[in-house]
Amino acid sequence: MCAGVCFVSCSILRASFLKYFFLNFYIILSLFADLLRQFVLRFYGLDSPEYGYAYYYTDCLLTVALFVAVISLASRVFGELNLGRYIRLVAVLLLLGTTAFSYAVVAQSAHRLATMFAFELSQNLYFVGLVLTYLLWGAILKLQESRTRVVQMVLSLGLYFSAYAGSFALANLAPKYVIVQYLGPILGCFLPISWALTIMRHSEDSRLTTARLVAVPR
Amino acid sequence: MSRKLSALALALGILVGAMELKTLVTAHSKSAVIMANGVSPVPIKLPPAN
Repeated sequence: MCAGVCFVSCSILRASFLKYFFLNFYIILSLFADLLRQFVLRFYGLDSPEYGYAYYYTDCLLTVALFVAVISLASRVFGELNLGRYIRLVAVLLLLGTTAFSYAVVAQSAHRLATMFAFELSQNLYFVGLVLTYLLWGAILKLQESRTRVVQMVLSLGLYFSAYAGSFALANLAPKYVIVQYLGPILGCFLPISWALTIMRHSEDSRLTTARLVAVPR
Repeated sequence: MSRKLSALALALGILVGAMELKTLVTAHSKSAVIMANGVSPVPIKLPPAN
């Protein structure tokens, strides 16, 4: 939570709040969601339906916000090629497609449609975000994007999504270990911390060169 | 027009790829879930019907 506040504060202080508006919006939404979850958790407990509703509905909102944040980074990467309009079109199509797919999956369970839909949409958008982030990283390498902030933020997102997928695999492989249960909440801190460090350490003008594969002649 | 069709094809490709990946990852899961936001603990079970 401190890292989130730090990221938003640094963005405002370094006049980058509007430049990275959707990233800030995600972090602010995440802070409010955590406050709401803690409030409900304290009053109703971990195994209460109230906490379940609060958790899954806020998670669905946050995943949509994270998806929009990924799209905003893609718009910045492809902005110089004047492809921003098509990126937005792809984003809308993806969101509509994922929503329709999620609805089709849960339409059978009409008695708990709303809860299952929020859960399914969140899960599906997570995987769409994962694929999108890797495609974006490929585009960064191909286009030789050099803006340090954009490169590091996309890398952070890639690591974040990958770490969650890894923790999920670990939860299936070794469910009896207690540490596995705490991996998710620990990973939840990673994104705000890495974004806050990026905003603090690098200015908008900072540039770096992405590594390229070099074929060594023999 | 071709760019719009390319955008549609790209969106469909990403969606199919993502759902394939999800099927691969969750095929052998034991009801564990990936919830990728925030630091709060994951609820023990899905809430019941209203």
